[in-house]
Amino acid sequence: MSLRTDTDRPPFDRVLIANRGEIAVRVIRACRDLGISPIAVHSDADADSLHVRAADGSERIGPPAAAESYLSIDAVIDAALRSRAAAVHPGYGFLSENAAFARAVESAGLTFIGPPPATLEALGNKLAARRAAESAGVPIVPGTTVALGDDTSALEKIGFPVMLKAAAGGGGRGMRRVDAMTDVADSIAAARREAEAAFGDGTIYVERVVRPARHVEVQLLGDRHGALAVLGERDCSIQRRHQKLVEESPSPAVTPEIRTALFESARRVARTVDFHNAATVEFLLDADGHHYFLEMNTRLQVEHGVTELVSGLDLVAWQIRVAAGEALPPAVLEPSLGGHAIEVRIYAEDPYAGFRPTAGRIEAWRMPGGPGVRVDTATEARTDLRTEYDPLLAKVMVHAADRSAAVARLRRALDETLIGGLQTDSAFLRWLTDSTPFVSGAYDTGFIDEHWGSGPDLSELDRGLAAAAALEGRRSDGAHAGWTAIPDPSSGWGSAARRDALRR
Amino acid sequence: MTAFEARVAGRPTQGPAGWSIAWVDRSEGIARATNGETSVLLLVEGSGQEWWVTIRGRRIGVEVRSWRERVLAEAETSAQVAGGPVTVAATLPGLIVTVAVSVGDEVEAGATLLTIEAMKMQNEVRAPRSGRVSEVSVSSGQAVATGAPLLRLE
Repeated sequence: MSLRTDTDRPPFDRVLIANRGEIAVRVIRACRDLGISPIAVHSDADADSLHVRAADGSERIGPPAAAESYLSIDAVIDAALRSRAAAVHPGYGFLSENAAFARAVESAGLTFIGPPPATLEALGNKLAARRAAESAGVPIVPGTTVALGDDTSALEKIGFPVMLKAAAGGGGRGMRRVDAMTDVADSIAAARREAEAAFGDGTIYVERVVRPARHVEVQLLGDRHGALAVLGERDCSIQRRHQKLVEESPSPAVTPEIRTALFESARRVARTVDFHNAATVEFLLDADGHHYFLEMNTRLQVEHGVTELVSGLDLVAWQIRVAAGEALPPAVLEPSLGGHAIEVRIYAEDPYAGFRPTAGRIEAWRMPGGPGVRVDTATEARTDLRTEYDPLLAKVMVHAADRSAAVARLRRALDETLIGGLQTDSAFLRWLTDSTPFVSGAYDTGFIDEHWGSGPDLSELDRGLAAAAALEGRRSDGAHAGWTAIPDPSSGWGSAARRDALRR
Repeated sequence: MTAFEARVAGRPTQGPAGWSIAWVDRSEGIARATNGETSVLLLVEGSGQEWWVTIRGRRIGVEVRSWRERVLAEAETSAQVAGGPVTVAATLPGLIVTVAVSVGDEVEAGATLLTIEAMKMQNEVRAPRSGRVSEVSVSSGQAVATGAPLLRLE
């Protein structure tokens, strides 16, 4: 199915992309496919960034700090008006789920490419969303449906361990696990503080920890005429700090029966609000195949590409088209999902140090290619890492006929991936493609803690290869080519050093 | 030809027998190692004595020294006095959220000294050894760069 024909008019003449990095580049590409002129925004830190150079123009929106640029509603609205854009795409993160921003876009006479402001508001409060889902007959994770006050006796009834969550939260932020009553006071104080700092709202609620559990989400796409498409599920169970690292579709844990139940629950949650555009309904799936509603994210997800690979649909293009009033055609409403897709997120994080963010400069940067491989990135070689923003460097996605072929393709793609200058999580991701639980599909949200920890010790082979390669690096003068046999270890460093010393 | 010694994490390391290495692109530092049955792509970065080799995503630091360089380096190391004052520096750039200690406090090894927020995460900075806090150079709300001195232990 082609996106447009020569007789089609573009849904909008010009769209402002209120984001940065790989997602801005991704939206720019969808705009170009649709014949729309894309306009970027940038903070002073991003004046030379790839997303700025990829667009038809770019508006400066402030200093490097996100709070004064990408999170500034006034600055972004001004930029949209200056650029004479007809619509604003918020990407993910930043202002994408901010109801006040969506309202400000509409008040300025522009189209917000996302769900209606009232829907963002209703679902932005995770506690209110829990209540709405429960009243719609959707199972929710056992826990409280009112804000946690000073009376913590509710926690004992729920049963430890429990998870404290920020009502205004999402994306793994403001979450804290509590294992026993003795830790409760400190944990609640810390969770409130984090929530207050991150979202300006310290409201906390409680969910029981479901474990083992898988994190499975359902992709929705709706038009302004009431049609709702369910575009399959994604399994996002490989997580660190409650944030996703790997996503795949379909989920190896989802049987046809579970899928039917998940899709029905997702539809029910969507029906509690006035919904159009793209959203994702997230669930936990326990070992018995029961699912529990977690939250509904009213925006494009980081991992949307996985769904695009199995459905053949361009979700970003459809976001733009339904925002312009187009009705979803049968090909979207009854999508034919095929093959298996996996995405891995490459972050500037050290997997051998608890996935702690790394700082520095990207020196070498080589991404994989070839059949069935897609890379979404805005990272380039010889650039300094921006520590003001999210440390996501790239999303490597693969698509193949079935899961085992997709895992093999992912392994191949990661073998082609070379990143210099700093440690990234790609070492973990490559290891993952050889780990038995992942290869067999039998993994859950506890996978990294249970199976990776702080990673395996350096093998003797890798240690030796590193030494040999570094020696080769130092010896070569740049004109070197051809195979070099590694010297026989028995030749000995000591005798070579003595010979060397004698010559001096 | 000068002979070199390679050390990984301080340990002298030989190349594995039966393997050979060829440059795929010397200017980009890309090489392939093979043992005739299987092969792996390597990224080789560095110059002089300091090298980094990335294998299947894992970045491995390698010291490459001639005998002369090694003797000089060892002389320098032994000149440094062990057990003196320690400066605790920021290992990542971020914002100081809390400072848990003040000058004069006695701390145990592993005690939380302060918290730095970076890229959505709160990172605790812990005492590398036990001692007395002799100086605190930062306060909460302050932005710090990598390597910035935070406090001093004696």
